Amino acid sequence: MTGLPDLTPPGDDPERKAWLRLFEADPDAVIACPSCDTLHLAETIAPGQVARCKRCHFTLIAPRRDTLNRTLALALTSAILMVAMLSFPFLTLTRQGLSNEVSILGMIGGLAHGWYMLLAILVAMFVVGVPMLRAAALIYVVWGLRQNRPPRAAREVFRLAEAMAPWAMTEVFLIGTGVALVKVAGLARVGFEEAFWIFCVMVLVLALKNASVCRWTIWTMIRERQE
Amino acid sequence: MMRASDIGWIGCHNCGAVHSRGAQVCRTCGSALHQRLPNSMQKLWAWLVTGIFFLIPANLYPLLSNEIFGHEEGHTILEGILLFAQSGDYLVAGVIFLASFVIPFFKVAVIATLALSIQHGWQLSPRLRHVLYEFVEFIGRWSMIDVFVVALLTGLVHLGAILAFLPGAGAICFALSVICTMLSAQALDAKLIWDGVTNE
Repeated sequence: MTGLPDLTPPGDDPERKAWLRLFEADPDAVIACPSCDTLHLAETIAPGQVARCKRCHFTLIAPRRDTLNRTLALALTSAILMVAMLSFPFLTLTRQGLSNEVSILGMIGGLAHGWYMLLAILVAMFVVGVPMLRAAALIYVVWGLRQNRPPRAAREVFRLAEAMAPWAMTEVFLIGTGVALVKVAGLARVGFEEAFWIFCVMVLVLALKNASVCRWTIWTMIRERQE
Repeated sequence: MMRASDIGWIGCHNCGAVHSRGAQVCRTCGSALHQRLPNSMQKLWAWLVTGIFFLIPANLYPLLSNEIFGHEEGHTILEGILLFAQSGDYLVAGVIFLASFVIPFFKVAVIATLALSIQHGWQLSPRLRHVLYEFVEFIGRWSMIDVFVVALLTGLVHLGAILAFLPGAGAICFALSVICTMLSAQALDAKLIWDGVTNE
């Protein structure tokens, strides 16, 4: 293991003194980059601007105009699209007069026997479960913040929503669908059904939703409104 | 550029709020506070070794079998890529070659290099280490493409005796390998990358 950096550098460094003064006046005026630990002054910047860490370029603050309403609207839209997507057929395969229409739920159900169950669980989790849990968690937090009264579990739920982000794989699934289609192209005729197009729109809505959330803004709101 | 640890402060790994020494829980987000995440390297190696362990059968066993008119034929990852290339689908062959073959092996190598360079204080520039870290964090999930292809083909294509797909043991090993290496990359405390580095 590497040792931690020397925690007791000389006390007369002017930069160190300046940080200490700032921190004493208001500890929340200072942020340390979560990725590399570099200190920054937290400043309110205009919506649409992005504040990045000057050492590692991690996005520290990226406020959006009307972030709460936008996030709420997009999260609700994605949930509605998901329900619609699950209830319509996804693709139709036809070969020699035999035709087969399958929805995503049908596909997961078709996999759910024997050890294939593991694959069914993976798809159900990464494509349906996690994106929906994340949307629900955001709705819970943002709804409360809009009422000016963050729900009791706002911190835990928002932390969970953020931790789930890498495991929501709807866009990966969409590319997978493309590859699968190429694979069956020579073997059967493929028809795109409603759920396929809804899925495409949902991937777009989920991306917009992710972009409308500024972590720093939400954390600051949660802190200020809980006090 | 000063870092929180240079002053003896603790920066929250989750939200970035700064705390004085000795604080246990972040006042903003409620996460447990650590100067550096505890046992980051042990967790990284544990997940990485497990990931490598699954990556071997993932490449040796068939990923997917197709059954055309009762005739069953299994293909490993590389055989599947060759099939795409032979039928002239070079774009798809390229995507799968990258996502299912190049990236998983490259990722394992990158995580191991990062971990060794941190643990042994190799003279890799922190800038390079950081780029590698970002790459690994970003790319991990895209390796799941092939797993979804297998699930889609198996679940969607049921045309009686004419045509069916069956997942092979390689598919689940591959999925587990991707998950383990994602967890391995997440276990790394990126703050370690910049420790012991004097300002460039």
